[in-house]
Amino acid sequence: MKVFMQLGWFFKERKKQYIFGILMLIVVAVLQLLPPRIIGFVVDEIRLGELTPGGLGKWLLVLAGAALGMYVLRYYWRIMIFGSSVLLGRQMRERLFRHFTEQSPSFYQQRRVGDLMAHATNDLRAVQMTAGQGVLTLVDSLTTGGAVILAMAFTISWKLTLIALLPMPFMAVLTSWYGRMLHERFRGAQEAFSDLNDKTQESISGIKVIKTFGQEEEDIEDFRRLSADVVDKNVRVAKVDALFDPTISLIVGISFFLSVAFGSRFIVAGEMSVGDLVAFTAYLGLLVWPMLAFGFLFNIVERGRASYGRIMDLLAVEPEVRDVPGAIDRKPGGDLSFDVREFRFPGDGRTALKDVRFELRRGETLGIVGRTGSGKTAILKLLLREFDGYEGLISYGGIPIGDYRKERLREAIGYVPQDHFLFSATIRENIAFTDIDAPIGDVRRAARLAQIDGDILGFADGYETVVGERGVSLSGGQKQRISIARALLMDPELLILDDSLSAVDARTEEAILRSLKAERQGETTIITSHRMSAIQHAHQIIVMDGGTVAEKGTHDELMALRGQYYEMYELQQLEALVEQGGDS
Amino acid sequence: MEKQEKQPVLSNREQWQVLKRLMGYIRPHTKAAVFALVLLGLMVLGNVLGPVLIKIFIDDYLTPGTFPAGPLWSLGAAYLIILVLNTVFGYVQLLKFQEIALKIVRQIRIDAFSKVQRLGMRFFDRTPAGGIVSRVTNDTEAILEMFVDVLVGFLQSGFLIAGVYVAMFILNVRLALITLLLLPFIFLIMAVYRKYSSGFYQDLRERLSQLNGKIAESLNGMGMVQAFRQEKRLRKEFGEINEKHYEAGMRNIRLDGLLLRPAVDLVYALGIILLLSYFGITSFSSPVEVGVIYAFVTYIDRFFEPINQVMQRLSIFQQAIVSAQRVFVLMDDPELEPAQPADGSSEIQEGKIEFRDVSFAYDGKNDVLKHITFTANPGETVALVGHTGSGKSSIINLLMRFYEFGRGDILVDGKPIREYPKGELRQKMGLVLQDPFLFYGDIESNIRLFNESVTPADVRAAAEFVQADPFIRKLPDGYRQKVTERGTTFSGGQRQLIAFARTMAADPKILVLDEATANIDTETEAAIQEGLARMRKGRTTIAIAHRLSTIQDAELILVLHQGEIVERGSHRELLAKKGLYYNMYRLQNGILGDEAG
Repeated sequence: MKVFMQLGWFFKERKKQYIFGILMLIVVAVLQLLPPRIIGFVVDEIRLGELTPGGLGKWLLVLAGAALGMYVLRYYWRIMIFGSSVLLGRQMRERLFRHFTEQSPSFYQQRRVGDLMAHATNDLRAVQMTAGQGVLTLVDSLTTGGAVILAMAFTISWKLTLIALLPMPFMAVLTSWYGRMLHERFRGAQEAFSDLNDKTQESISGIKVIKTFGQEEEDIEDFRRLSADVVDKNVRVAKVDALFDPTISLIVGISFFLSVAFGSRFIVAGEMSVGDLVAFTAYLGLLVWPMLAFGFLFNIVERGRASYGRIMDLLAVEPEVRDVPGAIDRKPGGDLSFDVREFRFPGDGRTALKDVRFELRRGETLGIVGRTGSGKTAILKLLLREFDGYEGLISYGGIPIGDYRKERLREAIGYVPQDHFLFSATIRENIAFTDIDAPIGDVRRAARLAQIDGDILGFADGYETVVGERGVSLSGGQKQRISIARALLMDPELLILDDSLSAVDARTEEAILRSLKAERQGETTIITSHRMSAIQHAHQIIVMDGGTVAEKGTHDELMALRGQYYEMYELQQLEALVEQGGDS
Repeated sequence: MEKQEKQPVLSNREQWQVLKRLMGYIRPHTKAAVFALVLLGLMVLGNVLGPVLIKIFIDDYLTPGTFPAGPLWSLGAAYLIILVLNTVFGYVQLLKFQEIALKIVRQIRIDAFSKVQRLGMRFFDRTPAGGIVSRVTNDTEAILEMFVDVLVGFLQSGFLIAGVYVAMFILNVRLALITLLLLPFIFLIMAVYRKYSSGFYQDLRERLSQLNGKIAESLNGMGMVQAFRQEKRLRKEFGEINEKHYEAGMRNIRLDGLLLRPAVDLVYALGIILLLSYFGITSFSSPVEVGVIYAFVTYIDRFFEPINQVMQRLSIFQQAIVSAQRVFVLMDDPELEPAQPADGSSEIQEGKIEFRDVSFAYDGKNDVLKHITFTANPGETVALVGHTGSGKSSIINLLMRFYEFGRGDILVDGKPIREYPKGELRQKMGLVLQDPFLFYGDIESNIRLFNESVTPADVRAAAEFVQADPFIRKLPDGYRQKVTERGTTFSGGQRQLIAFARTMAADPKILVLDEATANIDTETEAAIQEGLARMRKGRTTIAIAHRLSTIQDAELILVLHQGEIVERGSHRELLAKKGLYYNMYRLQNGILGDEAG
């Protein structure tokens, strides 16, 4: 029940709804007592011949009134209590989502998306269930159960009530025992299902291997075996699950039997009437649900508590990179100075960068080359302030980048990442990512600069073509160019291309570089690339190797050096030749 | 950004057809189903008889006040016996129905999965794996839910309602007729609920999937979102979807509140009012048996419980039909794998391979292979080299019969490849893929790959043959070492070696190699080279080589460019040509000058 305390803040927030909802539940619990009681009275009056048309009319009116009242109240408590629980789901989801947007990349490196999703779906559902179903079962089993028992004991016979209730604890005990068994078996069934799911996934991913070895029949056989296991495990569940209804009817049946048997004795002894007995058995029927609800309650609450705990743990994680107090609320600009003595990615013992220094004046272009893992991307990640924990100083316009508000810093930077990510949205929305209402003219200008305008117009829906998982599939090169257009749309002072021309052919690359040069006069650009052609015209080139600067200079200087740069350059010239299928 | 997979809206006729096809799956279980139905009937009978016994007791003994021991004992005993039998019947019947449902869904799953196995690679090219998996598992799970909750529930409720009515008619025809008045109300509520709930419920599910889709996409693209500081906009968009979902949730609560339990309880009260009016009015003119009142009150009680349950399940039904429809669409997919004769007796003896003027296009328009002609003599190695997209993999795809080709012909031992039975091709031709796919299990099971005729000794021999044995034996559990999902705990080279061993365990006549491009650690590199050389010995080999150093001894090297063979010959001959191959070779060896040779 601790979870109800933990959710106290929400109950307080929705005080009115919960108080009214619970009051209505209580009124319903009392009104419910009327029909059986009235049946009892009418039966007695009929038997004794005392029923008058007026009396009957009165009873029927009371019945109809109670029924209508209950209908209205039952509707409204659902709106109050279930409605609140849906609202709680919405609020918690909003909070979680906001939290997700505030986390640094290292948060995402340490966690799997599937896990985070589970918090936002399954756990959230369990908490929502606690605030709705949980509150209902708690209140209902207490009020209805209590009211019915009180009515039976005080208006009919407390002795008979005790006797009739004798089997009921068995029901609570048995159903809660079934519940536990069911829980454990259900887990088995879920595991079997998830095995089957994995198996299917694997078979489809490995379909080529299976076809190669002609193992289709054997694979189907394996699938058959796993499906049979799913059936077995589910039958195990069904064996327990099917116990609930019969057990309930058995115990209720015994209760009925006891009530009628002993009730008759009391009638003969003159302690109660036949009508009382009829009413009594009707009350018994009303008791079944609260008894069951009590069993459910523990399940709901237990799951809710665990899930709420998990969500709270996640919400307690502090974002790694935050704005310093009094951070500068101005878009940075000017010259860039990068001086990092040492940097390691969090949770990774290896040195990612060591003694990397460069100065970049506004309007210059810097080219960074090097093999995978040489530290190119690490430099960019620090510039973007995705990580803070480095030794050294990075400043923009003479001010350390850590002093700016993170948001303002990023306003100055147009970043095109290596692994281009497009959202399931239209191409226009993907390009106009930073300014969703940008006029189509601006969007097209950015697309033209990125040499993708023509491709886009070629699609059936043009700029309104939906891409991503559910849209058309684009080639790697097209995705890259859309990513570039996205960064260009914001007209950034600093444009960073992180190996983002790798999937376009040489001619397109050249065209993009040319248009960038023409359009971005006086703006700063940083390009990392495997391909030398992308950076050879840069004002400054650094060659990264093992996290440190191996060579530095202009293209001509580096070529004259006849070192790593020269070698890479020459090899790539040859590669370009081979790619075109040409001979020397 | 909220375009999501819309669910198809099925017409009543389509729904009916899907349901009929689903029902066809019951046939093999007819006996079990009839058995369960009989039990259900008995149970309903018991349920109906119980109140009759109490009625007899009240009217014949309690009201007159006579209590003869004998009849009372037998009455009590009868009640208890019925109660116990009912419990047993109820249990067995519930279990049986669930079992049947589970078995039906198992069959649907196996059918769907078997169908997937028979589909051609084209199908897998155009269908995302996630979608197929969800057809085979999740959608079938929805069908299960329908069988267990909806159909069985309908059946039980229907039986019970029918039984209750029969009993009421036997007890008092006029009153039973009056209670029939309740049915139109119930049908009306059901019809209205069904009309709105299917739309509302589907809307809620779609909103939820939008919501979850948005979360998943945002989590995946968070780096982008933050780099472009669009957190606020994203939160706003999310807030809107969240709100829509909330509204859909509230709509459902309102609908359920208006039409489900509260409404059914209202009709129940109406039923009681009808009963009491009838008895009351009758009592003014003639005596009424109190026991009959009792019995009717009990019947009305029992009558409404199943109705409540059925109503709650109506929305599941629609969902399940849509799921079933999707599964059936998969089962009816016409994109089958290339056909081979089932009973042909052709056998591959020599392993000679000939491509005769083969041209091929995946999409039917753009040829990826143009007039490919070459011959690989038994025991010889033909190497395919060329840039990405030059057509090397397509040659292998055709040779392995992953795709059907239209123009030209491929001959094995002089006979068209189409004439060999599938089993023969699969047994005699071994393919080693670029990215070796390992299955969940252990190393031995991965080498054996379902083939029961391969003994542990064979596995070991195959591993030794390809030089995989040393590294496997160093593992803590040796050949029993667990292989987790995709074998990610092994290095690329180790996976490659295991895949070699797998191919060798099958001992093919023809070897098709797609050499790994991935970085292979120097430790396993030597073992791989040695393993490759041994595998090729005595086998006709078609090899895609990314590293030219590995195929220098090939009898024939084909240099492909844009789907055409642009150069052919031995390593020496090709180098002497100083053409494309020569340049590729220089590139790979980092030779910048013109001094290669």
